[in-house]
Amino acid sequence: MATDAAVNKLNELPPEMIEFALLKTTGALAPRLGRISLAGRKTILTPGFIGNTSRGVIPHISPDNFGKSVDLNGVYIPLEDFVEKHPQKIPPVFKYDVPEALRKFIALPDDRLLILGARRNPPIPSPVANTNTEVGLSTSVGFKQMSSEYYGAAVRKLQPDIVIGLADIPFGQASVGTKRKDKMSDRTELWLRDMIARKESLDKDEKSWAIFAPILPIERDLQSWYLEHIIDDMVDKISGVAIYDTYLLDDLPDQLHHLPRLSFHAPASPHELLRQTSLGMDLFTVPFLADATDAGIVLDFTFPAPKKDESSSTRRTLGIDMWHEDHACSVIPLSDGCTCYACTRHHRAYLQHLLAAKEMLGWVLIQLHNHAIMADFFTGVRASIQAGTFDADVAAFEAYYEPSLPEKTGQGPRIRGYQFKSEEHAKKDKKNPKAYKKFDDAKILELKAAHGQQPNKKPGMRDVIDDEALLGLVGMQNQDDGRMQDLRLEDDPKA
Amino acid sequence: MAPVSIPSALSFELLGKCSVTKARAATLHLPHGPVPLPIFMPVATQGSLKGLTPDQLEDQGCRLCLNNTYHLGLKPGQATLDAIGGAHKFQSWPHNILTDSGGFQMVSLLKLAKVTEEGVRFLSPHDGSPMLLTPEHSISLQNSIGSDIIMQLDDVIATTSPDFERMKEAMERSVRWLDRCIQAHKYPERQNLFCIIQGGLDLDLRRACTAEMVARDTPGIAIGGLSGGEAKDEYCKVVDTCTGLLPEKKPRYVMGVGYPEDLVVSVALGADMFDCVWPTRTARFGNAVTSSGVLNIRNAVYAEDFGPIEEGCQCTCCRSPADGGLGITRAYIYHVTAKETAGAHLLTMHNVHYQLNLMRLAREAILEDRYPQFVKDFFSKLYDGQKEKYPSWAITALKGVGVDLLSD
Repeated sequence: MATDAAVNKLNELPPEMIEFALLKTTGALAPRLGRISLAGRKTILTPGFIGNTSRGVIPHISPDNFGKSVDLNGVYIPLEDFVEKHPQKIPPVFKYDVPEALRKFIALPDDRLLILGARRNPPIPSPVANTNTEVGLSTSVGFKQMSSEYYGAAVRKLQPDIVIGLADIPFGQASVGTKRKDKMSDRTELWLRDMIARKESLDKDEKSWAIFAPILPIERDLQSWYLEHIIDDMVDKISGVAIYDTYLLDDLPDQLHHLPRLSFHAPASPHELLRQTSLGMDLFTVPFLADATDAGIVLDFTFPAPKKDESSSTRRTLGIDMWHEDHACSVIPLSDGCTCYACTRHHRAYLQHLLAAKEMLGWVLIQLHNHAIMADFFTGVRASIQAGTFDADVAAFEAYYEPSLPEKTGQGPRIRGYQFKSEEHAKKDKKNPKAYKKFDDAKILELKAAHGQQPNKKPGMRDVIDDEALLGLVGMQNQDDGRMQDLRLEDDPKA
Repeated sequence: MAPVSIPSALSFELLGKCSVTKARAATLHLPHGPVPLPIFMPVATQGSLKGLTPDQLEDQGCRLCLNNTYHLGLKPGQATLDAIGGAHKFQSWPHNILTDSGGFQMVSLLKLAKVTEEGVRFLSPHDGSPMLLTPEHSISLQNSIGSDIIMQLDDVIATTSPDFERMKEAMERSVRWLDRCIQAHKYPERQNLFCIIQGGLDLDLRRACTAEMVARDTPGIAIGGLSGGEAKDEYCKVVDTCTGLLPEKKPRYVMGVGYPEDLVVSVALGADMFDCVWPTRTARFGNAVTSSGVLNIRNAVYAEDFGPIEEGCQCTCCRSPADGGLGITRAYIYHVTAKETAGAHLLTMHNVHYQLNLMRLAREAILEDRYPQFVKDFFSKLYDGQKEKYPSWAITALKGVGVDLLSD
């Protein structure tokens, strides 16, 4: 049987070898079906997606919830989330002396594929320019530089399953000159060779990894040398390609078509995912999932789209704004028929409450749901390609749903450092609204009096309002109390 | 007035008593299942425990948690709770819930509130409009919430208040309000109303109040008004005095208490139930509760510490992957805490587990009649064997129930 043969073949491969089987393809620039397998890891069917992590977790999803409630067979981890101590100190994770240190560190289940790259997706543009030997990174404590050599050593220590070659891409630069583009391909090639050399220098019993070669977001003739060199003497050393601009897939040489394609071209909507898929992209990280979650938007779409109701001329929204008070008494699941953890255990009323109360669980549940919606979406995409109805299904999807996700209306969780771009640092506005506002003098006097009774000896904490105490003072009537959310937690005396 | 006997929706199964101290081990059978006593109850203020799913809370061993009546009364509001069918359905929590009546908030913000016989008149800190909360209103809300244990509205003033007359008035009013709560309670057959003993730090007032409250024969009894910044010696005297006058066959709940040493001493003084936001709140500041003290994992010394949060801990984070846990290291907590919400979730799980497990171990020790030794071992571990660091209030309180912490 074909599957048995595939399994046997897999067993014969060295353990680090990624196998990519193209199950169906209808030529260049067309959707295709594939399967990425690695011994010991769950198989990833493509087109598909992997988790986009921040500091080792998909935002809001603790590792136990990831293991139990997220149907994802791989994650993307950016190294820049782990090296803020570099170069003054050796980043802690490098000192974790266990096999597969990164996987153990973040408590990633053994059966999930781990893909390591240098930058987050999407990356925050770094004002530190790339040089011939180093790329700029954005870490939690500021912008840093990292050399190709350092990257190679990190990969050897952290032992991912797949590493993305270091790419010289000036993120955030509106226009890039031709000379700069030449440099991009020269450096990227050099750095890719470094990684291959590093892999070949491994000891026999050391865990190896697979390499995905970056394909630059520039025209083919400007990276032709690089591409030719990949074909001439690196093609059997790489296991996939990382694509930074899907619309240049046309330029991808035929000799690289057998390799899996990981997209770093961040899609803004499911429509864009379909467009990239239609051009032959295989694997995605989907940053808009976490954005929707933070905005309190519950994704609500399926592929193929349901049958269109002919009597309705308006298109359906792609997501439900869970902040909306209409949901306050609604005891139905987030999406009809969804089987995710949030939909099977909870209802819209609770989600609306959690968001309004700014309880962290709201974002946990929406994130779980949004990932489940995306997993079902890709299952539908694969079935559609298999059935040969993909183009028609895409057209129907576009006719059925609005072209973009709904606008954010509610407040998200506190903005984390990686969520604003460097140029925003220059702005005077607060990234997060003030935790509480200044009251007038009379009110201050009143509150101070109340606070005199708080058993808090820390002078710095005396003026901070105890949320649990203050909230209790509000009357029983439902009332819109905007300032409620502005109250800050009192630090606790032992903290 | 004549005591009103009310039905009870719980049964208290006393399983063992310490032969030295006043500690007791029991099983409390509540409408949503049995819970072991002594017990720590984590506080899910607004119907969720700080980022944890009900399953995660359950995984840490929790079968009884708190909701706050005021918060749920405000959001989602009584109408929504009625429409949905109560707080269990609302938050998909299949186990027990206890709701606080909110009296505690008055301790810290008394000057914004005016207590009359009718109820508590609040001045909203938001728009300055007057609000009135009566015992009837509080019970009505808790009936809508459907919690397994509901608390009477009480007149709480800071225990540190020097005004004896006001303290006495508050105590007496709390008794009168209990009668109104009992009258207003619609579902005594499925919700257990607990009275709350008041009286500040005055032991005679406490005794008088205890006698009045016990006469009302509520299914359980709480000792309230404490944990408001009073000296720990005074706190222990109040708990000791009250438990000495309480019937043996009823659960005793000391409200708002949560530091591990407070729990261990209060159990020795005969208390059974505790709640506090501290373990979960402190988790969000990066603090881990362990048997050797509180560790702030945001401290750089933990950046390269690849041990578990606490060696041997069986929480989801600390348990090894071989045992179905995550094998999370202190270094990873350091890496993720305050940067991703998941960091708070991890520490919250650990801290809740620590508190619940501490009470589980205490219960085992009581059942095997070795609680005095358990208490000694606990303090020795917490203070690394340095007896000179033991808090004097704990030494005194424990001496009062026959345990000499300083002896070997």
